[in-house]
Amino acid sequence: MSNTIIKIKDLHASIDGKEILKGVNLEVKAGEVHAIMGPNGAGKSTLSAVLAGRDEYEVTSGSVEFLGKDLLAYEPEERAWLGLFLAFQYPIEIAGVSNMNFLKTALQEKSKYLGTTPLTAREFLKRVKEKASLVELNDKLKNRAVNEGFSGGEKKRNEIFQMAMLDPKLAILDETDSGLDIDALRIVSKGVNTLKTKENATIVITHYQRLLDYIVPDFVHVLADGKIVKTGDKNLALELEDKGYDWI
Amino acid sequence: MTVTTIHPILENLKTSEINIQESKKALSFLEKLSFPTRKTEDWKYTKVSKIIKKKYKQSFASCGINPIEYINKDLDAINVFVIDGVYCTEHSDTNSLEGVFIENIGENNVNYNTLVNNEIEIFTAINTAYAVNGISISVQKNVEVDKPIHIININTEDAIIANTRTLIVLEQSSQLELVQSYFSKNVKDTFTNSVNEIIVKENANFTLTKLENEGEGSYLIALDQIKQLSDSTIQINTITKRQGFARNDVNVLVDGQNCATYLNGIYRPINKEHIDNHTRVDHLKPNCTSSEIYKGVLNDKSTAVFNGKVIVHVDAQKIEAYQKNNNVLISDQATMNAKPELEIFADDVKCSHGTTTGQFDKEAIFYLQARGISKATAKEMLVEAFTDEVYNEIKNKNVVEYLKEI
Ligand SMILES: Nc1ncnc2c1ncn2[C@@H]1O[C@H](COP(=O)(O)OP(=O)(O)OP(=O)(O)O)[C@@H](O)[C@H]1O
Ligand SMILES: [Mg+2]
Repeated sequence: MSNTIIKIKDLHASIDGKEILKGVNLEVKAGEVHAIMGPNGAGKSTLSAVLAGRDEYEVTSGSVEFLGKDLLAYEPEERAWLGLFLAFQYPIEIAGVSNMNFLKTALQEKSKYLGTTPLTAREFLKRVKEKASLVELNDKLKNRAVNEGFSGGEKKRNEIFQMAMLDPKLAILDETDSGLDIDALRIVSKGVNTLKTKENATIVITHYQRLLDYIVPDFVHVLADGKIVKTGDKNLALELEDKGYDWI
Repeated sequence: MTVTTIHPILENLKTSEINIQESKKALSFLEKLSFPTRKTEDWKYTKVSKIIKKKYKQSFASCGINPIEYINKDLDAINVFVIDGVYCTEHSDTNSLEGVFIENIGENNVNYNTLVNNEIEIFTAINTAYAVNGISISVQKNVEVDKPIHIININTEDAIIANTRTLIVLEQSSQLELVQSYFSKNVKDTFTNSVNEIIVKENANFTLTKLENEGEGSYLIALDQIKQLSDSTIQINTITKRQGFARNDVNVLVDGQNCATYLNGIYRPINKEHIDNHTRVDHLKPNCTSSEIYKGVLNDKSTAVFNGKVIVHVDAQKIEAYQKNNNVLISDQATMNAKPELEIFADDVKCSHGTTTGQFDKEAIFYLQARGISKATAKEMLVEAFTDEVYNEIKNKNVVEYLKEI
């Protein structure tokens, strides 16, 4: 039990009065990789947004325990400080806020919250260099404004770069593979695999079995109409790719 | 000489002795002029009733305080002080620049009161009629002033009317950067009625950055009346910080070919502050560009106005005129009134204008929060990013630092 990272119990959530999540149950332990697949509109992004703390969604019942804490009671930034990371399906562009300033501020606020010693300017730059090379993000991109003028693939790589910088306990990757060419997919997967340890965990949301050749899951879940309707091992993904979701 | 006119706020004010003839003329205009009301087109959203209900006094004491504390060393500027509307020569640097003359506007100054329109503009007429004295800055031909001149206006008493008057002449191929700051020393109900007349001759380059920060209990009406001759470049930056009321008019007459005109502004009103920026560029000659960016961040119950007029006159062909006004309302009780006005009488011109008023991008705030940046910091970062587009236009980074620090 002690190595549980997140435990989602009967989670219901709605937006504008419309129920999207209809009782999600999921437990992820340290060292595990879980894949969530499912048709469009099933509620996969909704689940990740609710976990990250987006306040447009109303949690109507259920609970989420994250490292023993009541996750839903925390602000989005506090969740990040506690070790939750969401790689967005659609990372947005923020004009005028530099990537570096953004990450520096995020790390500073995190260490303030946790009461740890903040990185020196030198350590920060060293870390940037190391992590950027992991996802082959070139210097030009990391010095620009957050995602501004980035291609779709560059935005996804930037998400993994940020994840590497922040070193989360649980990373949720929402369709990070969508729109990536095979090279980018390899780079992103290498990044994720390198960051994997026995102490952290990963949830990958994807439509394509292809990604799971690179990031091998311990469990594959099918989320349909707001619920997890089937759970299996990595072979379930192959089966889904073959037969679609209708047979479930 | 005390003249009682029909306007109560002008009672007991002593008429200007900068140029007796001009002040007499202004007084006679004042007898016929009335204060703008809501029906006055150019003052539709800006009420002056609060300003004109009060009684004001002039100061005649030059240098009522020692203003040394207002000097910003990092600016590395030539400092000139105006205290309670009076040019304070005692503490001002005057003779340290070659080819630049900083002095009292003299009676024989041929450029004085030639650009402004006292007959129509009541606040300008008040300035001409009651300015205690004024500053003349003239830059000689081919002189590039390598330090900025900083005119620091400080109001030190309650209910002061400061009719500050400045005349700036840049001779051919000269260059000058001027910073004009407005402060007050914890006083209230002051009324600064400022007039700048600026003549920028052929191939000259002029930058003016105004910092308006007199406090929430102060009224400021400021006019920059500018004339540009051929091949000249000007940049006028109007940065409004804590200022209870400000009405800024920047009027540029572009009377020569190959001119460039840049007008920029930032206003961030809080509480019940009211900030009104009116700009007007008259393109009289062909082959010129003008470009404007004004940005506002409005909080609490504040209000702001932006009205940008560009008039491309007949024969002013090949004009490029761009104008942008973007606003963010942080509170839903804040109000923005924005109106771009293009009047084009020539046929071969490129003009564009756009104005937007919106809230903070919620997605952006959430993205920053999700990475571990608190909501308050996220908002600050977005405000900074938003206003940086204007600050980036200002070349002198010391000036930018100064503006941001205050
Ligand atoms: N603001 C909203 N108001 C109403 N319905 C919404 C809103 N936002 C999302 N939904 C609906 O919630 C459902 C779940 O959306 P979600 O984005 O979570 O799906 P998904 O599983 O991530 O799909 P995809 O595979 O296409 O990314 C969809 O039917 C969507 O239309
Ligand atoms: Mg989705």
